[in-house]
Amino acid sequence: MWAIETRGLKKVYRSLIGGTPVVAVAELNLQVPYGCVFGFLGPNGAGKTTTIQILIGNVYPTAGQAWVLGYKAGALAAKRRLGFLPEKFQFHEFLTAEEFLKLHGRLAGMDGKTLAKRIDEVLELVGLQERRKSRIREFSKGMQQRIGLAQAILHDPDLVILDEPTSALDPLGRRRVREVIEYLKQQGKTVFLNSHLLSEVERSCDMVAILNKGRVVKQGTLEALLVHKSVVVLELRQVVPSVLEALERVATKVQPLDTNRVMAEVADERAIPELARAVVYAGGELMGMQAKRETLEDLFIQLVEGEAK
Amino acid sequence: MGAVAAIMTLTLKEAMRRRAFLGTLIILVVLYGLSFLPKAFHEAFGGSERRFELGIQLMTSFGIDSIKFFASVLAIVLSAGTITGEIERGYLAAILPRPLHRWQVYLGKWLGVMVFCAVNVVLWSAMLWLSVYLQGRSRPEIWHALPYVLLYPVLYGTLALMFSSFAGTSVALMFTVALGAFAYFADHFLRPLVVFIDAAILQRIVWLSEWVLPMATLKRFVMAEVRLPFTGRIEDAPFASEAVRFFLNPPTRAWELGYVALYILVALLIGGIIFQRRDVQ
Repeated sequence: MWAIETRGLKKVYRSLIGGTPVVAVAELNLQVPYGCVFGFLGPNGAGKTTTIQILIGNVYPTAGQAWVLGYKAGALAAKRRLGFLPEKFQFHEFLTAEEFLKLHGRLAGMDGKTLAKRIDEVLELVGLQERRKSRIREFSKGMQQRIGLAQAILHDPDLVILDEPTSALDPLGRRRVREVIEYLKQQGKTVFLNSHLLSEVERSCDMVAILNKGRVVKQGTLEALLVHKSVVVLELRQVVPSVLEALERVATKVQPLDTNRVMAEVADERAIPELARAVVYAGGELMGMQAKRETLEDLFIQLVEGEAK
Repeated sequence: MGAVAAIMTLTLKEAMRRRAFLGTLIILVVLYGLSFLPKAFHEAFGGSERRFELGIQLMTSFGIDSIKFFASVLAIVLSAGTITGEIERGYLAAILPRPLHRWQVYLGKWLGVMVFCAVNVVLWSAMLWLSVYLQGRSRPEIWHALPYVLLYPVLYGTLALMFSSFAGTSVALMFTVALGAFAYFADHFLRPLVVFIDAAILQRIVWLSEWVLPMATLKRFVMAEVRLPFTGRIEDAPFASEAVRFFLNPPTRAWELGYVALYILVALLIGGIIFQRRDVQ
């Protein structure tokens, strides 16, 4: 049982007056386990937003199926337990923060007492309790993003879908969103996060799926995807053949950069101390070491560029 | 029905925010002021009681026509940007994922616009009646015509909302105004032309226009309540045949109101179905 599951999901946009059909999502297979923070990544036009729109029932798939919390995507039963922060939104600016949340609470079917309590909680959580009587039009873009986040989690949903939640935020705002995601994770909720900020995803997510041209090209836990392959630059007094030979026995790839520096690639970051030992045993003089671990951004670029080639 | 009520309230608040209410207040004041013209003229220039009475009747008729016009414009303006326009502006992005059916959103918006227009029509009619009353006359026909006058914004608002379910604000506005213009042209220009050119094709076009948009039907029901005592109207053309005179001035029939109700219901359903089936992105 998955929080989100898609099988062979496809969406093709056809123009009413001819033109080439646009395949936004092609044979998308995705599994999101309950209780995890799941990063949904991909370059622009990869089909992320269309997939999210299908999951929340705003867009009908051309083929394939999607389930959310065990229900068909778009079903009222699924929507009751789903919270959503859209990427492009315009809230009714003439409402105060409190009126806005009351409206969404009513639409979510919450009773008055629970709603009043939850409004206090979520405003506190997103740091807007002081501005509850302010009209949304008086809010900065970042504050609007935060009130949007508040409406998404207002009815205590089991699954929260966040579409670019940090796009308009400064570093402090981003930290606030990270804290909310962490809070949701502690509460056992599933968070489905679509973001371009890979460093944010790397910090917040347990699992990711990388999407390109409407298909999932990679999916798994961050641990499994970032195989801890590391590149180390060793700074020596002088690069000598005996040191290179010693390094080759430990590293998967050794490449002298100049007369003082050698680049060595190891399959596992646990092998990095071995490189230092090899240099010393070979009689080399180690002046410094700089390890560069593979990041999600490296993996992303590698996968997306690989597909393009 | 909680969700429908919530959307309806939001639509009402939205209408207030768009200064629509300010516009309607201005119309109210203008209507009130204009309605006193017969008394003002009577006091300034004198004249017979008959002339004063005619002035009151003229202003009553003009007032009702103005209410019909402004209520229709208000309904079109408020409805045309409601669905696609709000999707494009991003207003529905956070509302549609809520656990509600799209028809509830559609119905809530329709009710919001209709309640707002109805309140305005009642207010304007009350102001018209009051101004006539303050001049020492009573015109109960203002209230008798009210149910039919109320149907004008319902008709136009429902149409504009239906168009907005698949078209952007300006296109929905254009479609609705084009239909209204066709119905107006057919009723006000083609119909009287039959007196001079008794061609079957003209009668068919006029007949078709009433099916396409039953505006002339509603006009007849209003006219049946508020009829000007002018003589020499084209509808009474003595040289026209009996059939032509009937065509120019057909009687009101109850089933026609049934057609108007069916028309509104079908337009509402079509718009609701289109909105339910379309992608929202």
